[in-house]
Amino acid sequence: MENIIECRNLSHYYGKRMIYENLSFDVPKGHILGLLGKNGTGKTTTINILSGYLEPRDGKCMIFGEDIRKMRPGTKARIGLLIEGHVQYEFMTIKEIERFYSAFYPKWKKEAYYELIGKLKVAPGQRISRMSCGQRSQVALGLILAQNPDLLVLDDFSLGLDPGYRRLFVDYLREYAKAEGKTVFLTSHIIQDMERLVDDCIIMDYGKILIQCPTKEILDNFRLYSCETDRVPESDIPGIYHPYSIKGRLEFGSFLRKNEVAALLAGNNIRFGQLSDKKATLEDAFISMTGKY
Amino acid sequence: MTKALIFKEWIKTRWYLLVCLTVMIGFAAYAASGAFRAVELRGAGHIWEVMVTRDAIFVDILRYVPLAAGFALAIVQFVPEMQKKCLKLTLHLPCSILKTTAVMIAYGLCCLTICFTVMSLIGILPLGRLFPHEMVSRIFLSMLPWILGGYSAYIFTSWIIIEPSWKMRIAYIAISALALRIFFLAPGPEAYNVFLPWLSAAVIFSASLIWLSVLRFKAGVQD
Repeated sequence: MENIIECRNLSHYYGKRMIYENLSFDVPKGHILGLLGKNGTGKTTTINILSGYLEPRDGKCMIFGEDIRKMRPGTKARIGLLIEGHVQYEFMTIKEIERFYSAFYPKWKKEAYYELIGKLKVAPGQRISRMSCGQRSQVALGLILAQNPDLLVLDDFSLGLDPGYRRLFVDYLREYAKAEGKTVFLTSHIIQDMERLVDDCIIMDYGKILIQCPTKEILDNFRLYSCETDRVPESDIPGIYHPYSIKGRLEFGSFLRKNEVAALLAGNNIRFGQLSDKKATLEDAFISMTGKY
Repeated sequence: MTKALIFKEWIKTRWYLLVCLTVMIGFAAYAASGAFRAVELRGAGHIWEVMVTRDAIFVDILRYVPLAAGFALAIVQFVPEMQKKCLKLTLHLPCSILKTTAVMIAYGLCCLTICFTVMSLIGILPLGRLFPHEMVSRIFLSMLPWILGGYSAYIFTSWIIIEPSWKMRIAYIAISALALRIFFLAPGPEAYNVFLPWLSAAVIFSASLIWLSVLRFKAGVQD
């Protein structure tokens, strides 16, 4: 399958603080890939590198087969970029901003923008600076849809949105991306949204990728376990994520089956009883993999 | 695309340009009327003598007006670009970054040229009715360093605003303050005449500093 984004061995530091080292991932054509991670794990750094606003200490990123640092204007026209916080030119009105952007994109679809704006019940002369965060998010999304790009790069699209606007954004985006075969690379810190939206996800922890796989694989296979025990494992047990104890009950997540988990605990000399499991949501799996703290 | 970029700059600056032109016209008209009033009170002969022997040029009030205009235009044009790092949107446009930057700077310099031309015409042209051609040109040549200072203030302020690192901004502010001082060192009329071509060349060359800040912004430089 053709890869739209290819990142190889990315490393970045802010001063002496390592953000990550040797990060590699691909985004296949037509897929919606979500980059999930706690605050400070390097999601926005990755978006900044991908959109050419940060030179990584090491490594290389290619989009549509072109090095992002030497990207031609024609290739840039194929990428829709949503900056964290739905940033847009606040000094422009709804009408002015559409007029401005339309001059740059040959495949511009004015009606896609106005269809979304129509749901906001705002006047065309309304200045963007006087709109709510939710309304601004729709303007930013409308502009990206009108641009009709082949790749959408969205940084923390859910930031500052109430549940209604988040749902509107997610539903619109998913419908659009699937109908038109678009590739989407996005980050969000609200994991529930991602479950409805992304085909594949990368879960990042500080300095590394924990897992990169289809979202369905996580939802089908990841389970939350709970058992009674008198002690918490002192060292990491491979296959078990972040075990912690609450009032004598050990809780953890794992991709392993119940009998495999039981054998693993026994093999590590952990006495347990009443081992139970339940299906995990993407948010459960995320918290289980990255830990609560 | 160029038209669209100019449209964006126009939206940001239109109200400022109106205010700037009004203030400049006001200052220039006040300066010119001062000369007329002096001639009316003391007679043309005496005023001519004062101009020649005491280096009076009657437009001193305009000395820092171009400087303030250049400084304010850069703020009006580039602060909105730096709010929430909006410049990222501009640099993501499918257009070469060099062209985008050049259009923005050229727009600002053209606006200043219009403002300075209007100010010079209103401040100096009527003086042709009072003074001989040589004296009018003396006044204009004395004003030129101030006008160049206005362009420089625009360039330096833009350079500072776009710079992504605060540490470097502080260094640039110090450099800019010293560089702008050059335009106001000599108080005498026509003191810069020999130096003017070099000063103009330096101002044109200094515009490339803005490109330096854009490149640093693009590379994600931080404190």
